[in-house]
Amino acid sequence: MTSLAMKRRRASATRMWTQFRSSRQGMIGLAILAVFVAMALAAPLLSDMRELNPVFARAQGNPQWAPPSEFAPLGTDYIRRSVWAQFVWGSRVSLFVGLAATVLTVLIGSVVGIVSGFVGGRVDGVLMRVTEWFLVIPFLPLAIVLASVLGRSVWNIIFVIGVTSWPSTARLVRAQVLTVKQRLFVDRARSLGARGWHIVNRHILPNVSGLILANATLAVPISILTETTLAFLGLGDPSSASWGKTLEEAFVNGAMTRNAWWYFLPAGLGILAVVLAFTLVGRTLEEIANPKLAERR
Amino acid sequence: MSGPLLSLRDLSVTYHTSSGPVPAVRGVTLDLARGESLGLAGESGCGKSTLAGAILRLLPEKTVIEGEIVLDGRSVPDLNPGGLRALRWTAGAIVFQGALHALNPVRRVGDQIAEPMLIHETVSSEREARQRTEGLLGRVGLLGARADSYPHQLSGGQRQRVLIAMALACDPLLLIADEPTTALDLMVQAQVLSLLDELQRERDLTLLFITHDLSVLTYACSRLAVMYAGRIVEVGPAWQTFEDGLHPYTRGLAAAFPTIGETSSRMRPSGLGGDPPTPGDLPPGCPFHPRCPLARPECRDAEPELRSSGENRVAACILV
Amino acid sequence: MHPGVSPLVEIEGLHVHFGDARAVDGASLRVMPGEVLALVGESGSGKTTLVRAIQGLQKPTAGTIRMEGKVQSIFHDPAVQMVFQDPTGALNPRQAVYEIVAEGLRIRGDKGDEVDLVKEALARAGLRPPERFFPLFPHEISGGQRQRVVIAGAMVMEPRLLLADEPVASLDASIRGEILALLRGLVDDHGLAILVVTHDLGLAWNIADRVAVMYLGRIVETGPTEEILDDPQHPYTRALLSVVPETREMEPQILKGEIPDLSRIPSGCRFHPRCPLLQSGTLPEDVAQRCLSDDPGPVPLGAASAAACWPAMATETSTPTTSD
Repeated sequence: MTSLAMKRRRASATRMWTQFRSSRQGMIGLAILAVFVAMALAAPLLSDMRELNPVFARAQGNPQWAPPSEFAPLGTDYIRRSVWAQFVWGSRVSLFVGLAATVLTVLIGSVVGIVSGFVGGRVDGVLMRVTEWFLVIPFLPLAIVLASVLGRSVWNIIFVIGVTSWPSTARLVRAQVLTVKQRLFVDRARSLGARGWHIVNRHILPNVSGLILANATLAVPISILTETTLAFLGLGDPSSASWGKTLEEAFVNGAMTRNAWWYFLPAGLGILAVVLAFTLVGRTLEEIANPKLAERR
Repeated sequence: MSGPLLSLRDLSVTYHTSSGPVPAVRGVTLDLARGESLGLAGESGCGKSTLAGAILRLLPEKTVIEGEIVLDGRSVPDLNPGGLRALRWTAGAIVFQGALHALNPVRRVGDQIAEPMLIHETVSSEREARQRTEGLLGRVGLLGARADSYPHQLSGGQRQRVLIAMALACDPLLLIADEPTTALDLMVQAQVLSLLDELQRERDLTLLFITHDLSVLTYACSRLAVMYAGRIVEVGPAWQTFEDGLHPYTRGLAAAFPTIGETSSRMRPSGLGGDPPTPGDLPPGCPFHPRCPLARPECRDAEPELRSSGENRVAACILV
Repeated sequence: MHPGVSPLVEIEGLHVHFGDARAVDGASLRVMPGEVLALVGESGSGKTTLVRAIQGLQKPTAGTIRMEGKVQSIFHDPAVQMVFQDPTGALNPRQAVYEIVAEGLRIRGDKGDEVDLVKEALARAGLRPPERFFPLFPHEISGGQRQRVVIAGAMVMEPRLLLADEPVASLDASIRGEILALLRGLVDDHGLAILVVTHDLGLAWNIADRVAVMYLGRIVETGPTEEILDDPQHPYTRALLSVVPETREMEPQILKGEIPDLSRIPSGCRFHPRCPLLQSGTLPEDVAQRCLSDDPGPVPLGAASAAACWPAMATETSTPTTSD
């Protein structure tokens, strides 16, 4: 009955949206996100990409360290590049890396969590030891080592973040899988003859997906911050213009001492805003995911 | 002091939920004489637990209580926090279902029983509290040493006894038992009922026994009241009301508990169609009429009042 | 009851031990087609474990389970379906009624007309018109309706045996009768057999043909419902019957204490420490001695009516036994 299934999916999406809409924190977060996503998508319209090129900037006749004015809305940096351009184009990288890395994290974490929780036994034991191993290793040294070994490109950064952040997702998902596994309707499915795949697909996943979504939304800001940190430490992709890189260059070139606030403030506030937005949305999704299970009396 | 120990007059309790006001109890008038045991029967959504909570003001903040509740001469809704504290545990105490979450899982049961004694200063020292606790545990059929156990170390029946001991800690006048034997096995249930019976006679306790199991009430109570959709629909002597109810709902409910040995119920399970109504969404007129086998067109017009029939028996049905 | 018909389910000498705890300690019972057998016991009697073993969710430590003559392996047999105590928990809150009922068919890979089968199952379970219920979620229907959905989901598989674990215990009392009538109707109309696990003797009186009483891992008495509930032979059954609140003719025999721990089963007759008959002192010396020292053993498979009790067996030998 696919038409029934589609109707229900639409109804459940509408229900979720109505609930979301009633949460003020969720809507604020969503609004902020919308602004930044729009900015990232409309980057070519908002700013000329060539402004990121120092040669072009010099040719333009931009001054160095210029505070904001009519022809440079956020001023210029130490090599005459428009800070506004860096802000706009940087949002793309930060958001993209944040999202892509999170997808990787959630994918690995969910698969490990589901397999570990559902299969149990020795498989669970082995997977949990691996997870703990990753948790115990200090993140930053590991990230630095991987980044230096693999080379500094956007894809490698995504890989590094994904590979080091999945353990907490795995633990969360595993705990939820264990809870769902105990529920009576899983027993019922077993008594109807269901085997592993059917149970995971039809019973475990739907009751875990809400949690995964909420967790993923909360993992994005972590990924963004991680990318920022790595870029700040000089491990970022030299050819990309992320907010972290902007902060790094600002710092290294003495923007703080010069009081060139227009250089580091936008990127810093941008990160803050995006992280806050994702956190608000994620918290709201969490609240929706949990009472849902309780509401279904 | 003469007069009823507990007096409810036109009591109404309305919850305020996100989907609007929900009238859980709608105009209940009831008297409980000293030393009496009254059974209150009803199913989910009838308001009986709300009623129990209202008597000791244990309901959530936003609940609206209208009408009179007079316990031991004191008007409960008018009490200030100090007066309310003095009332609870000493004038009236409540025994809940003994599920694992009725007791604090991280405290020993002895401490939990002693707590009301210490708070209400009915004992002068911790040692005295301990002695009394052990005495109470013995009285409810448990070893005094059990005071050092944690709730999860006890069986369902034992936990129920602990809750009874706790309710008796400050020698209350009124004991409200809210589903105390539900989820207990038959034999354990019998043990707990027998205990309540003994305690009641021993201490001249007034007992308000709330449950959905009508048959249990015939064993434990002298008088029986039946609740449906927030109102009392019948009151009468326990056994008579069970065997030969006036209200069609009472009869339908009683039929769900067949008398073993009676051929009329052999291979003939009897029940009512439909479902108990949800508090915010009642049918017009008599709330029972959609499920009533004797419903007439007039039943939709107005909700019947309690009418007298015979000695000390009333029922809210136009057929009475 | 049809003489000469072979049994549907036969459990012989079943043992399920969890370390020292002997949840099922040598239980034998038999369910005939078209009959309702009520397995009566309190918590700690092992009844839930027994049912799980039949269902295939619990591996027995010893003993055999035969379905229609064939020894059943641990894997589930679709001819046996379950009805649960908690209909709300038994339904996935994210599945619509249609999918819940169709689930078994889909797992089996049935190529038949799914919609028709689901419609029929829902109608048979009393949910009419069935189409109205297709898109509803469990939280949108009442407790009684949820149980009907569970029953429909079981019946759509065309089982020959229903295992019902306290099917009405969590439902409102006024609607129990309807669900019980539904179950009995399924037996009368379709020749289904039902094994009902319950502690409610009134339920047994309402729908059961036979009763088996379980205590501490064993069947201690079995027989036709009228016999067991009218004239129980085993002191435990007698005590249980006496404390049913509606039974007024019997003096309540409230047993002391609770069912002992499964890992510390008393010696001799496992009921002897709580036995009112033994404690009354009216038994002859030699019989009382046997109660203390000898285990009467479980009720044997195929006994029409029997009680695992020395005094009961002593009086039985003096009267001709009836067999089915």
